[in-house]
Amino acid sequence: MATVNCKDFQGRFELPEDSPRSSSPGDLSVQAHLRDCPSCRSFIEDLGKIRAAAAQLLASDPEPPARIWFSLRAELEKEGLIRDTPSKTPSKSWVRELFSGRFTALPRPVLAGGYLAALLAIAFGLSGPINSRINRQRWLDGTQSSTEPLSAQLTSAEKASFSSFPASESPVTASLHQNLEIVDNYISLCENSVREEPENELAREYLYEAYQQKADLLAQLNEQ
Amino acid sequence: MSTAQFVPLRFNWKTGLLAPGLLLVTSSAVFAHNIEKHFKVEPRSVVTIHNPNGKVVVKAWTKSEVMVIATHASDKVEVDAEQTGNRVDVMTHQISDSISPDDLRADYQINVPEDAELQIHDDSGQVSVANVLGDMNVETVGAGVDLEDAAGYLTVRTVGGSFQCIRCAGRLEVSSISGSFKLLSLRSYHVHAQTSKGNILFDGEFLPNGIYRLKNYSGVIEVHFSPGDSFDLSATSLKGKVNSQASLTPPAHAHPVYSKFGNAILGTFNAGHAKVELSSFDGTINILKRE
Repeated sequence: MATVNCKDFQGRFELPEDSPRSSSPGDLSVQAHLRDCPSCRSFIEDLGKIRAAAAQLLASDPEPPARIWFSLRAELEKEGLIRDTPSKTPSKSWVRELFSGRFTALPRPVLAGGYLAALLAIAFGLSGPINSRINRQRWLDGTQSSTEPLSAQLTSAEKASFSSFPASESPVTASLHQNLEIVDNYISLCENSVREEPENELAREYLYEAYQQKADLLAQLNEQ
Repeated sequence: MSTAQFVPLRFNWKTGLLAPGLLLVTSSAVFAHNIEKHFKVEPRSVVTIHNPNGKVVVKAWTKSEVMVIATHASDKVEVDAEQTGNRVDVMTHQISDSISPDDLRADYQINVPEDAELQIHDDSGQVSVANVLGDMNVETVGAGVDLEDAAGYLTVRTVGGSFQCIRCAGRLEVSSISGSFKLLSLRSYHVHAQTSKGNILFDGEFLPNGIYRLKNYSGVIEVHFSPGDSFDLSATSLKGKVNSQASLTPPAHAHPVYSKFGNAILGTFNAGHAKVELSSFDGTINILKRE
């Protein structure tokens, strides 16, 4: 049996479909090297973990955005690792093809690096938007839970105020109404702004102040 | 407690009979009720004025007394002025159930000692105060407020009335919904001015350790500065523009909220002794060199 060094091993070893711990049964020298060399064993274990994680990601729903695959492919092409023209419409089958032997001609470390880059790109691509969506939703929920009771109270106070007003209005009452419309308009603008950017604390501050102004105006209207 | 003693109505019947045309033209003035009253007060007296509609003019003088001159046209209102200790209360109130807004009108000219404290409520009309150095609280709905050479703790609140302050000192807090503000030749160490729809013009000194906060929803905030001024500036408009002619040293720590949302200019002018905070929802902020 010929002696296999680390460089030969990485060139000859093939990761089996189901288990990362066994190699091709016929290649005993490769298996012997794997058994004796902790460095190559660790490398193979890492490769197996990467593949398992990649398979898990592929099975997960939703599918990563198409831009991830385009950017990955562009990066690999830029590195000169692949030369094929990518399909116009990436799909799961294209992805499976990509991971199921299309790169078998590549040296193993390069393939491992490619896997790792893909993992990082997918993880980064997915985590950003998801975290951002979760954060926005949390902010929105928090803001709504604090503003909705306020808004409801103000609406009810406004109805009560209007029902108690005399038919004829003095210029002072008219001025209060006019300014109430202005404040209502700002409340509406601020609410839209908070909905668009729930994490924007300045918009929330303006909204709360507009509510406060409305409350003050309603109190003044009641005093008239 | 002393009650008001009114100077009798001055009505010249001869003039009325001899010049009927003139009488018609000036009928409202002729039938006006004129009231004048004097109150002796101690230092740091308090004067409260409550007037639903009309002009209130307050001026400081050197005497230790408060003089109230009131004019109202309608018989449906009356003016009370009374003293309790070192406080003088002036009030217009209606004495008829059916009354029009014009009937409510009463105009005042009041002289007070320089150190008097004022509390004024005037829904519509105009409030003018000059040379009073005591604390002041003014509340109006539509009435504009003009202060000149005032000091102390000044709080002004209007709904739609504009506000102007010339050569004011001390501490100033002013708020409105649709009123505009002009703060000219100010020497205040604390200014907090907030309006929703109005413009704010600040042309005053930035005193060391002073805090200057100007805020609106829309409209223009304009601040003038001189080359020798020293302030830390934070100017933010969420949806509008911020323009500055000041050469600022960038802040050591960027504020993520200001830089992420809206348009902001932050930095230090000279040594940054005063703190200037300008903010608008969708208005424009201009920081301009004084001409």
